[in-house]
Amino acid sequence: MGSPLARFSVTVDDGHRADLDEVARALRDSGLQVDRVLGTLGLITGRAPVDARPALLAVPGVSSVDEQLRVQLPPPDAPVQ
Amino acid sequence: MIDPSVPARRHLRLPVQTTGRQVVVFADAADEPVDWSAAGISDVADSRDFTAGRVSAQTLREAGATVFSRLGIAVVAAPPDQVGALRRPVLSVSPELVHHVLPDDAYVRGYRDGVADLAGRLVGTGGDGAAPAPPVFEDTAAATWGVQAVQATTSPFTGRGIRVAVLDTGLDLAHPDFAGRQVTAESFVEGVTSAQDGHGHGTHCTGTACGPRVPPAGPRYGVASKAEVYVGKVLSDEGSGDDGGILAGIDWAVANGCAVVSMSLGADVAEAHPPYSAAGRRALEQGSLIVAAAGNNADRRAGDFGFVGAPANSVEILAVGALDASLATAWFSARSLPVPGGEVDVAGPGVDVLSTWPMPTRYETISGTSMATPHVAGLAALWAEATGRRGFELWATLTQAARRLTEPSADVGGGLALAPQEGAGAG
Repeated sequence: MGSPLARFSVTVDDGHRADLDEVARALRDSGLQVDRVLGTLGLITGRAPVDARPALLAVPGVSSVDEQLRVQLPPPDAPVQ
Repeated sequence: MIDPSVPARRHLRLPVQTTGRQVVVFADAADEPVDWSAAGISDVADSRDFTAGRVSAQTLREAGATVFSRLGIAVVAAPPDQVGALRRPVLSVSPELVHHVLPDDAYVRGYRDGVADLAGRLVGTGGDGAAPAPPVFEDTAAATWGVQAVQATTSPFTGRGIRVAVLDTGLDLAHPDFAGRQVTAESFVEGVTSAQDGHGHGTHCTGTACGPRVPPAGPRYGVASKAEVYVGKVLSDEGSGDDGGILAGIDWAVANGCAVVSMSLGADVAEAHPPYSAAGRRALEQGSLIVAAAGNNADRRAGDFGFVGAPANSVEILAVGALDASLATAWFSARSLPVPGGEVDVAGPGVDVLSTWPMPTRYETISGTSMATPHVAGLAALWAEATGRRGFELWATLTQAARRLTEPSADVGGGLALAPQEGAGAG
């Protein structure tokens, strides 16, 4: 692969919320290093090569694969937070 | 704000006409038959007896009483005292009003007056009379301007029995203002096991949402003083974090039955982020309302209005803008995006907000939509306690009860969120 790792959030569709572990297994097979399986929300987060996104999106039950956003607060002494 | 003391233009008002009939609202919409003869009323028409429930105008005119069973309402051709003889709990009896389409001449006059008023404002003469002076709130020895403005100080509700999650940089777990409080804390930051706050932002936000009614030192600054606090550390002591930890924090809060999830965080992206939309929807379905900061990416002093960032720009997440102590939009507070979900839903106090800070500093005064958000989260907890409502019903209650402002809705949504007062939630 050689492609650098990116962090992804995978949204599982309503029809597969009960089969989350199975979806996670299939995502692993498609190159995702699973960090968390979030059963209450039906989301799976993890890391994969940037170019693995189409393969992850093709997994049955996956409705969206998005690179994770990063939040950065201002420093503690900033007047506007 | 909207000041009802400003006199309306009387010539636009039409005289109120009534039909002589009474509109009766029953206390229950139950199917129990009403003994109309007790009130001397015969010829009762029931909407259920008509095709497709459609009652004609002629029936309405001629019947002694027309009952709209599905609504628990009846229109009765009898004086009010006669209606009082009905042996059935009644919520209200009101004269039936005659409604009119606004006549053309009134429309034209209204238009003319609107133009004149606008022209007056533009040249600084203030239309017909001075513009209402907005209230200016101040920090006092008893309470910050923010908790006064949202009327938390006069609310009998405290958030008791309601779980509120604050997903942020954590909390100073040894802060004296939280001594003796039920606090459940968890870290979702990689390599960090404690939810102890090494930044300050999370301690400030937690204080605003859930600080005590009577702090051991200084004025009151917190809204839901008896709420059960869930502190999820999703941002590092350097103030950074990514979806993985934030989503894990939401998942934890929802799994623990938190009715309100406060997120004073965001990224300056103009598109809704699908995982947050899914998380927001599924949280609402499970009775958890996510409240998020609209963002500080505006610089209104320089004519830049910014935009609502993620996650607040998801349809399923309530976005909070910031107001100053005169209830004007804060210069940094982001404006609505012209897409579904991209709107500011409601506003809260977000300029010069005093709240808790990690010891030994103890208190700090800062500004941001981050500070407005936990005000609204605390208010949501009060409404959840007062009404028992959760999820989208709680969202609707919060925005309906907001104090309307004359600021553009693109900036403040439904206005300033307010606390439920005595009697709220009854009936």
